[in-house]
Amino acid sequence: MQVTLIDENPIAASMARLNVPQFFGQRFAGGLHDKSLMVERARAANEALAEAEAMGVDVQLGTCVWGAFRNSESSRVLDGPQLGLADNERSWLMKYDRLIVAAGARDLGLAFAGWDRRGAMAANGAYSLMRRYQALASQRMVVLGSGNLGLSTARMALDRGVDVAAVVDVSRSVRGDEAIVATLRESGVKLFTSHTVREAVGGNGEIESVVLVEIDDNCQPVAGSDKVIAADTVCLAVGLVPNVELLSLLGCDLSFEPELGGYVPDRDDWMRTSVESVFVAGDVAGFHDGMVLDTETARNQGRLAGIAAAKSLGAIDEAEAIARRSDLQAAAIDSKPTDTYANWIRWLQALLNAGGSEVFACPCEEVTCADLIDLRPPRFLDWETERTSPPSLKALAKDAPVNPDQVKRLTRAGMGHCQGRLCREQVALLLAEASETDVADMPVMSYRPPVRPLPLRVMWPHDESEQVRNEWAKWFSPTQQVLG
Amino acid sequence: MPVNRADVVVIGAGVSGLSSAYFLARAGKDVVVVDKGIVGGEASGRNGGMVSERVDEPLLIPLAVEATELWTTLDEELGYPTEFTQEGRLQVAVTEAEMGDLLAERDVALRHGIDVEVVEPSAIRDMIPGITERTLGGLFFANGGHANTQLTVQAYAWALQDLGGRLYQNTTVTGLRVVDGRVASVETTAGDLAAEFVIGAAGPQTGLLADLAGVHVPVAPARVEILATAPVEPRFPIALVGNGLYGHQAVRGNLIFGGGAHEWTDVDLTTSPGKPNTPLIRNIARRLAELLPGAADVPVIRSWAGVVEQAPDYRPIIDILDCPSNYVVVTASAHGFGISPATGKVVSELVLHGESSIDIRGLGLDRFSGVGRGWRQERGWSPVPQRA
Ligand SMILES: Cc1cc2nc3c(=O)[nH]c(=O)nc-3n(C[C@H](O)[C@H](O)[C@H](O)COP(=O)(O)OP(=O)(O)OC[C@H]3O[C@@H](n4cnc5c(N)ncnc54)[C@H](O)[C@@H]3O)c2cc1C
Repeated sequence: MQVTLIDENPIAASMARLNVPQFFGQRFAGGLHDKSLMVERARAANEALAEAEAMGVDVQLGTCVWGAFRNSESSRVLDGPQLGLADNERSWLMKYDRLIVAAGARDLGLAFAGWDRRGAMAANGAYSLMRRYQALASQRMVVLGSGNLGLSTARMALDRGVDVAAVVDVSRSVRGDEAIVATLRESGVKLFTSHTVREAVGGNGEIESVVLVEIDDNCQPVAGSDKVIAADTVCLAVGLVPNVELLSLLGCDLSFEPELGGYVPDRDDWMRTSVESVFVAGDVAGFHDGMVLDTETARNQGRLAGIAAAKSLGAIDEAEAIARRSDLQAAAIDSKPTDTYANWIRWLQALLNAGGSEVFACPCEEVTCADLIDLRPPRFLDWETERTSPPSLKALAKDAPVNPDQVKRLTRAGMGHCQGRLCREQVALLLAEASETDVADMPVMSYRPPVRPLPLRVMWPHDESEQVRNEWAKWFSPTQQVLG
Repeated sequence: MPVNRADVVVIGAGVSGLSSAYFLARAGKDVVVVDKGIVGGEASGRNGGMVSERVDEPLLIPLAVEATELWTTLDEELGYPTEFTQEGRLQVAVTEAEMGDLLAERDVALRHGIDVEVVEPSAIRDMIPGITERTLGGLFFANGGHANTQLTVQAYAWALQDLGGRLYQNTTVTGLRVVDGRVASVETTAGDLAAEFVIGAAGPQTGLLADLAGVHVPVAPARVEILATAPVEPRFPIALVGNGLYGHQAVRGNLIFGGGAHEWTDVDLTTSPGKPNTPLIRNIARRLAELLPGAADVPVIRSWAGVVEQAPDYRPIIDILDCPSNYVVVTASAHGFGISPATGKVVSELVLHGESSIDIRGLGLDRFSGVGRGWRQERGWSPVPQRA
C-alpha cells in the first residue's frame, strides 16, 4: 500500500508567533526560524519517523493539513475525498482512500490576568519547544497544574536547565504521579496546592513575576495570602483538548466526553469513525491525564487503526487483521480516564474568583469574561446603551442552550487569528455557567477551513484549472454552477 | 410556548423575517417570530454584508435606494450597533469587457438619479491601499456600504423584543392549516399559533413552506462560499467589487470576500442544510491576493458557506397573496441583506394597508404563474447527482 505520513512539524516561526498550533507564548529561541535545523531536530526527536521511511512511507514534514473536503448531501462537486495541505510556501490538494487522523491534542487555555503577555504558554507548546525543537527560551517557569501533564512539564523543563520555581494547583493535594513529585521536590521545586494565579505581571508586555493566592474550599481567594514569585514564564498545564477540527470538517460524529477532554470522535473498536474512510488514533480520540505517562495506549491505537485501514482496503484479510489485533490486546487500547472537565471547571472558577472577570477570555480579540457574559458588542465600537435591561445570555438561552457560534459572532470571542484554539473550551464553560446550562448540552462552536491560518499567497491554487479560472462567477449566473 | 395567538406570525428569523417583524411591531402589531434554528443562523448571519443600490437589477432600484436611506439611521432606530459603514462602494474593472459593463451600469445609475462616478486607476489606488495596479478604472457609488451580518440580524431581533415582540428560536414550523382560504394556524414543534397574518420568510425553505399552504413559490436553494482573513492594516472603509469578488474590510480589519461558483442544492423544511466549504476557497484566496497584492501575506483564518434562495429571474418575491389571503411571501433572491430594512418596511405596509409606498412592481408572485413544478429541472437548477 502507498502510505503518506503528514506532520506539520516543524512549524514556521510565523505560526508559532500566532500561538498556532500550540500555545508557545513567544518564548521560543531564534533557531525556530531555521527550517532545516528544525527538520533535523524534529527527526532526531522521533525515531519512528526514520523507521517509517525505511519501510517506504512517504514522510512529509513541515506540512500542515488545513482542510478536509468530502462530498455530502449538500455538496457533490468533488471527485473524491481530499485534504488541503500546505507548507510555508504553497498549498495543494491530496486524495486518499483511507485517512487515519492522529492529530493529537492542543493546549487548554484558561484566562488569568496577564496571560496575553509574552511568557504565558502551555504544556504542549512547551513540550514541543523543548523536545522537538530544543528552542525553549525560558529562564524561570511557574507551572499551573499538578497532574501528570504539569509534573512532566516541570520535570522536562528542569532537565533542560530551566529553573522551575513552582508547580501550582487548585486541588487540595497533588494530582499526579508521586515519583515525579519526589524528584521535583528534591530539585527544590515548590508545590502550591489549594492555590491559583491572581496575575502575571511585568514591564513591556513581558512576564517578570507571578502572583499566587491561596484559595478556600469554595475556590475563593484567601485574603492576605498573596505570594509573588519571580518567573519569566507561566506554563498552563491543566489539560489538553483533542484536535477534532479535521474530523468535524469530515462530518465524523463527535460526542461530548468530559473525561476525555471534550468532543471526541465516535469510533468502533477498530478505531473507525462514523465516516467509513476515516480512522483515528491517539490523543485525538480522547485524552486524559493518565495518558501522559502511558504513551503505549496511543501507539496501540495507531497500530490498530493501521491494521483496520489495511483490512478495509483488502491489503490484509479479516483473519490476519484479527490475529494482529489480538497481539495488541495484551496492551491496553483504552485506559482509565480521570475527572478532566470537573478539574478544569474548578480551575476556571478559582481563576475568575482570584483575577476577576475583566480578564481577556479571548486574547486575540480582547474580549473579557465580562464582555462575553454580558453579550457586549466589541469594544472598538464604543457602543453605549441606556437600557436598564440590555440583552442577556439568559434571554438567548430561553428556548434552547446558548449557541456558541451566535455568541461568537456577537462578541467576537473565538474569532481571532488563533482560530479559537486558546479560548474555545473556556468560552463554552463560561457561557454554560452564565446561562445555567450544562456545557454538554450546548452545540459545539463550529470548525471551518482553513484550520490553520494560511496566508493568501500560500492558499493560492497553483494547480487552478483553466475552467475555474475562465468560468468564474462574480455572483449568480445560471451556467456557473459546479466547477472543480 | 405560552401564547397561541398573535396579530402576525413570522416564520423565519433571518433579516427578511425579523425586519418585517420589527416594522410591524413598531406599528403596534403583536408579533411572534419563530425559527427552527437561531437568529441569523442561516444566510442572514453568514453573508457578505454588502449594501448596494442594485443598479444591476433596475426593477429593484426603488427598494434598494430606500434601503440605503433606512440604513443610515438603522443603529439609532433599532438601538443596537450594526457596524453599518456608508463610505461608498467601488466596482473596479480589470478587463476591457468589465470596463464596458461598468460604463453601462453608470448610465443606468445616472438615469435613476443615483450618485455615481467613474474613477481613474490612480484615484482607485488612493481609495484602496494595496490594490492591484491592473485596474482599468472603477465606478464609485457614494451610497453603498457594508454592515456586520450577525450584529444586524440580532439588532432587529433585540429591537423587536424591546417593542414587546416575541421570538422563539429552535422552534420549527411543520404545517400550515388552511381553512376557507386563510391560514388558520401555524403548526410548530412547540404548538399551534393562530394569527391574522402569516409571513413566510423562510429563505431557501420558502417554497417548501408555501407548499404547505398549497401555493407554488419557485425558489431554488444554492450553496455559496466566502472567506475572512485576519485583521490587516491599512484600512479601507469602502465596499469593494472586482476581479470576480465582492467584499469589504470589516470595522475590526478583517477582509471578508466571496465569489465564484454556487452549487444548487436541496433543503428540507425542518432541518438546517449542510454548509460545507470546498477547495473553491483557494480560488477565492487567489483572486483576493490578485486584487489586493498588498495583503498577500495576510492569513485566511476562516471560511464558511451559506445557502441562499434564488427565484427564476433573480429578483425578490414580496407579495401578499390572494389565497390564502392572509399569507405574505417574502424572499430575497440572494441579495436580502442589503435591502432588508426596506423589505421589512414594505411587508409591514402590505399587512397594514394592503399596498406599499415603495415601488415593488415586478416583485409579485403572479409573474411566475407560468412556471411549473418542474422548473428547476428544466432550468438545470437541480443538484448534480450524488457520486459514489
Ligand atoms: C456567502 C453569502 C454571501 C452573501 N452576500 C450578500 C451580500 O453581500 N449582500 C446581500 O444583500 N446579500 C447577500 N447574501 C444573501 C443574503 O444573505 C440573503 O438573501 C438573506 O440573508 C436572506 O434572508 P432571509 O431572511 O430571507 O432568509 P434566511 O437568512 O435564509 O432566513 C430564513 C430563516 O427561516 C428559517 N426557517 C426555514 N424553514 C423553517 C421552518 N420550517 N420553521 C421555522 N423556521 C424556518 C431558517 O432557519 C432561517 O433562519 C449572501 C448570502 C451568502 C450565503
